Amino acid sequence: MSLTRLAIKSLLLRPARTLLTIVSVAASVAVLFSLLSFNSGYQEGLQKQMQQMGVHLMVVPIGCPYEAASLVLEGGEIENYLNESVAEEIAGMEGVAIAAPSLMHAIVRPEDGRTDIYLGVDEKHLELKNWWRLNDGEKPGPGLLSEDDAVLLGWDAALIEKREAIGERIWVPEIESEFSVTGILEPTGTQDDGFFYVPLRTAQEQFGLEGKITAVQVRLTDPSMAAEVADALDARFAGVEIIRMEELLGSMTALMDSARALIFAIVAVVIAISGVGVLNTMLMSVFERTREIGVLRATGAGRLHIFSLVWTETLALTVIGGVTGLGLAAVAARGVEAVIKRFVPMAPQEAMTRFDPHAALICVLAILGVGLVAGIYPSLRAAQIRTIEALRSE
Amino acid sequence: MARGVHLTDHRNKGWFIVTRNGQLVHATGLSRTYTVGRREIPALRGVDFSINRGEFVVLLGPSGAGKTTTLNLVGGLDRPTGGSLSVAGEVVADGSVHAKESRLNALRREHLGFVFAEFHLLPTLSALENVQVPLIWADESGRDRAEALLCRVGLGHRLTHRPDELSGGEMQRVALARALINQPALLLADEPTANLDTNTRDEIFGLLRELSDEGLAILFATHDHELAERGDTVLRLSDGVIVHD
Repeated sequence: MSLTRLAIKSLLLRPARTLLTIVSVAASVAVLFSLLSFNSGYQEGLQKQMQQMGVHLMVVPIGCPYEAASLVLEGGEIENYLNESVAEEIAGMEGVAIAAPSLMHAIVRPEDGRTDIYLGVDEKHLELKNWWRLNDGEKPGPGLLSEDDAVLLGWDAALIEKREAIGERIWVPEIESEFSVTGILEPTGTQDDGFFYVPLRTAQEQFGLEGKITAVQVRLTDPSMAAEVADALDARFAGVEIIRMEELLGSMTALMDSARALIFAIVAVVIAISGVGVLNTMLMSVFERTREIGVLRATGAGRLHIFSLVWTETLALTVIGGVTGLGLAAVAARGVEAVIKRFVPMAPQEAMTRFDPHAALICVLAILGVGLVAGIYPSLRAAQIRTIEALRSE
Repeated sequence: MARGVHLTDHRNKGWFIVTRNGQLVHATGLSRTYTVGRREIPALRGVDFSINRGEFVVLLGPSGAGKTTTLNLVGGLDRPTGGSLSVAGEVVADGSVHAKESRLNALRREHLGFVFAEFHLLPTLSALENVQVPLIWADESGRDRAEALLCRVGLGHRLTHRPDELSGGEMQRVALARALINQPALLLADEPTANLDTNTRDEIFGLLRELSDEGLAILFATHDHELAERGDTVLRLSDGVIVHD
């Protein structure tokens, strides 16, 4: 028989109350751990996705540049357009390696619960996305978009359309046109997987936007010259927004930091409340066990023994709750991620929550701190109980 | 009743406590007055007594006579307001000088055992674990000794039972084993048979008598005259003083 065993057994005196306290601690730890894990995964995933784009600058119609960038990245309809000539002029500027124009159009199908994003692109887009591979392992060549009715499917788009073979036809009733599948891309883990890529000229004709584009994605010969090229573009073109991708990443991160600060403040309050709950549970336990404490004193326990016993009980309560919370968070990580992704800007496609030992350590230390602090007052009260009065109590 | 274990096999420590005057407990002019508001209520008024090793001393008296107060003072649970008291070689009080609390804790841990009328077992622990509780404070395990003691008090088949699975007599036997686990020199028993039926009362008392015969000193508080007659020495308490026939 040890003090720890006695402490844990004492927690079983009121199993329902103990269980509720453990659940409250577990819930707060699970939330804290999920947020910590998601936060680091989000930043890494966002950075990776930005780097994978191979785009250093983005030129979009004037408006909220970040909203426009987000729409281009995630797929959505941009109301304003640029003239196609802008892309040609940018391509001729110093320091520009590739200037790839694109026209994005969304076809909404509410009855199927889906929105198909058609992206009109030319061979420069394939040049820009030089890491793309077809599902047969080949690199996509310009011939894939040479025919007017050609469509290159992203991996997810092919799954949604249930198309697997080259030459299969896709009928689009909204524009009364039929496309022929010329290739299916390997999954990239980005928004690219969900798009239908058609020739730029075809998209402009089919959507009634001749000579218009929604964005020009620019790769530079030297990425460190992004600021200078952006200034030059800004001076040359009126009515356009120039977005540096590194700025976009910084803005998104700053936005996330603000949201994170708010969320952590809420989590801190939740943890504090669970700490008060633990304190309350232990204080009630001490009051109820006054006579038991008297008996322990009669058997030779000193005040320090009683203090240690109650403190150990509190720590056991919080540690059990903390470990349960970590387990819950690990099991429910994907579900939590799906919920959080709805509320954060530009959430990367890939899985972001994972078991982060550093985050787990922070959670364990936080909950140990809560347990240590919450246990002090009940432990002191228990240690101060006078033995003969305790033995007389009911 | 199982007799496989003799008390003296595992309580040598208690046997060899020698005090200055050869007595285990020596009280002179022992007093305890409680203050309630402005009123002073004397619970014990200058009693003298001593207890020798292996002596079975009965404190006899009605409720309020001062029996529990005496036990609390001897057990170091309370401090006298007058007189001197030494227990197992420790000067608990000498006039206004009192032993430190840590010394009294050690005294209880090493030399004293308590049994109460209401058993006071911990409800979430088994009989075996209840008996082991006092050893926690001494950082000892003593599982074998606890098992042996439970066998000795006739509960070898009830080791894993919790208090709510035991009868009143069985609970008191567990409490007795718990009081003996630290191999005490003196057992302080506060009306331990008060909540038991006559047969069980006699069994428990008989067990205590055996323990005393083996060398354990016992201070037994009761209001039961019949039981008192079976002790070695009877101290009749009335209104906080010892009365003599």
